[in-house]
Amino acid sequence: MLEIKGLHASIGGKEILKGIDISVKAGEVHAIMGPNGSGKSTLSAVLAGRDTFEVTQGDVRFKDINLLELSPEERAREGLFLGFQYPVEIPGVSNVNFMKAAINEQRKHKSLPPVTAAEFLKLMREKMAVVEMDSSFSGRGVNVGFSGGEKKRNEIFQLAMLEPTLAILDETDSGLDIDALRIVAAGVNKLKTPDNAFIVITHYQRLLDYIIPDVVHVLYDGRIIKSSGKELALEVEERGYDWLING
Amino acid sequence: MKDTKFIYTPEIPEVFRCRVPLPGTSQAFVNNGVLREESLSPKGLSVTSAGETGFSLVASRGSVPEESMQIICFRDSGNTNDIAFTNRMIFEESSDSSVLLCTHTLTLDRFKTDETIKISVEKSAVANIVVMQNEHNDSSHSVKFEIDIQSKGYLRINVISLHGLFLENDFVVTLSGEGAVCELNGAYLVDGNQTVKSNVVMNHMVPGCLSRQLFKGILDDESRAHFSGRIVVARDAQKTEAYQANHNLLISQNAKAYTQPQLEIYADDVKCSHGATSGILDQNALFYMRSRGIGESEAKLLQQLAFVYDVLEKINNEQLRQRLCDLTESRLRGEFSHCSNCSMNCC
Repeated sequence: MLEIKGLHASIGGKEILKGIDISVKAGEVHAIMGPNGSGKSTLSAVLAGRDTFEVTQGDVRFKDINLLELSPEERAREGLFLGFQYPVEIPGVSNVNFMKAAINEQRKHKSLPPVTAAEFLKLMREKMAVVEMDSSFSGRGVNVGFSGGEKKRNEIFQLAMLEPTLAILDETDSGLDIDALRIVAAGVNKLKTPDNAFIVITHYQRLLDYIIPDVVHVLYDGRIIKSSGKELALEVEERGYDWLING
Repeated sequence: MKDTKFIYTPEIPEVFRCRVPLPGTSQAFVNNGVLREESLSPKGLSVTSAGETGFSLVASRGSVPEESMQIICFRDSGNTNDIAFTNRMIFEESSDSSVLLCTHTLTLDRFKTDETIKISVEKSAVANIVVMQNEHNDSSHSVKFEIDIQSKGYLRINVISLHGLFLENDFVVTLSGEGAVCELNGAYLVDGNQTVKSNVVMNHMVPGCLSRQLFKGILDDESRAHFSGRIVVARDAQKTEAYQANHNLLISQNAKAYTQPQLEIYADDVKCSHGATSGILDQNALFYMRSRGIGESEAKLLQQLAFVYDVLEKINNEQLRQRLCDLTESRLRGEFSHCSNCSMNCC
């Protein structure tokens, strides 16, 4: 589903990603761990199409499409989703209108007619239940006045609405208390199918107790220094990163 | 549709069959400053000529008209000279009414209109006025609002400036009776070489009055917006609350917003604030929307609509608010904002 080969990216002339290779298949969950400043968020931003980063080398194919040639909105319509580490507040744009615009863009891309009001309401209700979100959120401005936990739940709600084939969750667990973490993780598990895939970026092993990864990658200084099964996360939790960095 | 009498200008109701606002609205027409014919007004409201030019609107004492009044002021080739005229609006004691004032241009002549509107809100009266300005690209229109609000009177004016080469709204408000409240809100959309000016002088003369001003605008291309707002609190006007905000969103590097907030406070027990900003579109919000599949231009539009919605939401009539939101959207999409079924494309 996703093939990243020799990906290099820089910002303002400073190289952040120094050759990344990752291959994700349908039905898999990949975790990317690594210390601060290793390039985790840069990788997710580059995949989503943030233009503040410049891709200098390498190739990314998503469902056999050259992902790097697409605009952020085209990537989303092809089925890529980025769960933000810091979801953005958009005052004045309600959650409902935001999601309706997004869903209709996606439907247009698939040559489907715009969603009807009744269908949309039903879908909203259904998907809000996935993350135990209160219906009062729908009329409020996107993320405006939301707590950290509510913002992250809103990310998973949007994921549920858009049903992407590949979801990248950038430190979705940061700033979450244990209850919010469970709800978010349970939401992800409900949305997992044999046809989609997840890349979960996290600092801590804690999230991976709830979302069980098939592959764990350790990213350091812009390179994947180790890839292994889920036991790698436990080992990192226990021993830190030093043994990998120095080994 | 209500049957109105337009003896001298039978074509006018045809032109305006769009019924911009709401089913329950009576219409009066002011052509080049002259009230054409007195329409059937809602009970409790009357619109008559104020002499050769201008109109006089009166909400009679204690009346609460169910219907609102729409006054359509339009210029056409019948008189292409520069014109100046004065209107009066008197909201008598304890009345409660709504007025929609629209200004339009029907032909492409170069018009210059200088209008004064003297508004008196008497004791305990409530008045909601929405002004919708939509004129062609060669039209210049200045409106001077001279406003007096008496004890416990309430006035809210929402000015939506959609289109016009030069639009100027000048407000001089005197809060002359205790407990008077004035809300002035403005939304302006300018592009090309258009200019919108808003000037406010809010005079708090007596204690215990409240005023709020919120002016927001979106500037594209080479356009200009000027805001000059002054709050004056007299020495005796203790317990005054006065707030003012002006925010500008600059879409183009060549657009310019000039803003001058001013406070003159002579009393010592008051709550006053002012704020003025000029900014650009939020790039993080744009990327966030795009990452959900919303196209770049649509994401920009959503953000612009959200920016002026703060002002539009202050229109308390829901149907009218929705209508003006739709007009704002089509304006921002770069379509000339048509009203439904209207043959003249004037608005």
